Amino acid sequence: MRGIYSLLTALAVSLLVAGCATTERTPPQRLTGNPAVDAPTLLTNGPSRDKVLLQYRTAATAMQRGQFDEAKQLLDDAILTISGIIGKDTEARKARGYFSPEARKTFIGEPYERVMAYYYRGILYWMDGEPDNARACFRSALFEDSDTLDKKYAADYVLLDYLDGLASLKLAGDGSDALKRAQSAVRISMPGSYNPNANLLVFVDFGRGPTKYAAGRHGENLMFEEHPCKIRGAQLQIAGKTYQVRAYDDLNYQATTRGGRVMDHILANKATFKDATDIGGDAAIVSGVVLAHNRDTQPFALGAIGLGIISKIASASTRAEADTRSWDNLPLYLSFAHLDVPAGEHAVTIDFLDEGNRVIAGLTKKMTIDVPPNGADKVVYVSDKSTTPQNL
Amino acid sequence: MSAALLSGCASSGVKNPSGVPVTEMKADERGFVAGTGVESQDLVAVTDKMARGILAVPQVANSTTEARVVLDPVVNETRFPINKDIFLTRIRTQLNSKSAGKVRFLARERMATLQNERELKRSGQVTSAADPNVVEFKGADYFLTGKLQGLSTRTTAGVSDYVLYSFQLIDARTSDIIWEDAAEIKKQGLEDAAYR
Repeated sequence: MRGIYSLLTALAVSLLVAGCATTERTPPQRLTGNPAVDAPTLLTNGPSRDKVLLQYRTAATAMQRGQFDEAKQLLDDAILTISGIIGKDTEARKARGYFSPEARKTFIGEPYERVMAYYYRGILYWMDGEPDNARACFRSALFEDSDTLDKKYAADYVLLDYLDGLASLKLAGDGSDALKRAQSAVRISMPGSYNPNANLLVFVDFGRGPTKYAAGRHGENLMFEEHPCKIRGAQLQIAGKTYQVRAYDDLNYQATTRGGRVMDHILANKATFKDATDIGGDAAIVSGVVLAHNRDTQPFALGAIGLGIISKIASASTRAEADTRSWDNLPLYLSFAHLDVPAGEHAVTIDFLDEGNRVIAGLTKKMTIDVPPNGADKVVYVSDKSTTPQNL
Repeated sequence: MSAALLSGCASSGVKNPSGVPVTEMKADERGFVAGTGVESQDLVAVTDKMARGILAVPQVANSTTEARVVLDPVVNETRFPINKDIFLTRIRTQLNSKSAGKVRFLARERMATLQNERELKRSGQVTSAADPNVVEFKGADYFLTGKLQGLSTRTTAGVSDYVLYSFQLIDARTSDIIWEDAAEIKKQGLEDAAYR
């Protein structure tokens, strides 16, 4: 009987002590909507494990607002984290453990999110007249997508290969292999051959990209929610001409064609453990109740019930839910056009088009751009969420 | 019992509660923050090797006059965005400090400023120690340039990055490549399963 009492005492103490565990609380943030103002506040006061997520989101907003210097700093810092090898990491180890959620680990995002960090940084490098570093970013972006379970879906972003080839061409290299790779991965639109005289590069994205949710009995399955998008393309008007800008890549497709993660197996194991300890706990408690009815077996009843309760507590404490933190202001479609325009100042109008190629009202963007006279590339980034007008 | 309860409330498990002090490291040391990309120890190892190689080139080592060199930007073909000029800057500083005057670098990236200064002298707006109408800007004997190329692999077994750093010294008169050397660095790493 002494053993049973000890067990129950230990159980009581562990329950009380567990109640004293501290949790990280994040004070509510007052945001202005301006990334230049909000980013330092968020990054200082937000949880460190979410730093990269905050940098991703703020950088995307900064891109849409034309605050490219802010976006550059945020993406550089985020890339410092995602480009390293996160080996022995305490938080990652705990995230794999039974009693901590996956979201405890430092956020670096799923491959499609890391791809987008490199993609945006590549655009910014090109804007700064560094096509070789832009190309390096596009290559790193493709690299992030290269370890899919089914190799058919590995490194299959059309635009990244296409831009790799275009940058090589601009650097007096041979972009033909990259162009072939881009054309062989086509799903939405076939990219045309390169225009070596193009001096205006227009990066357009639109729609709302995928977000994550947890499914399954214990939320152990990471799933992606697709958000409907009526925009199918864009048209650009400059110097009296109109150009079609077609979508090349779809982030829903990219997010959902990766195959499983190693972490999915760990979460599945956690869920199995959670179920097993729950069922085991039920069985032990029921056995204890049955044993308590018989005078000969009564001494074992408390032990069985105690074990059952411990097993139930272990089950309740197991955190099998998948990490659903999402870079939730990503676009759905990525598109691009490269044009040959005369040097000088130009008024540019970008309209977004629906499935029937009709202009969607309320989304038109206007900007004034200055194309340099020395043949250098003018790089423009536009989203359906971009502020308008912009002077670039 | 009370002691057990109170001790249970003590917070613990905060690693490095007072932070980690700044650790000064040598540039050629591998730090504790590492990736598979181009890092300072690679830069030092590669540029040291290239500077030694250039000093041993017969046209430089046996020359009775100074070899005038212009730096041509390095081409980055890897997947790592880097400040590629840093390679040539370090080779230049190594050669300037160790070549005992056998190698001279021409400041071509400053030509606009230099030409502006010469125009000011020619127009008499500023003083001149020599006749400003005589062309004294030196021509290059050699061009020093390089290329960074990479091969990368990512599988469930980890990430592997191989980078080939190759540099050339090109005779400006004949276009002969009078010296070329390369350094190879391969790095591999495996991320925690929580990230795979």
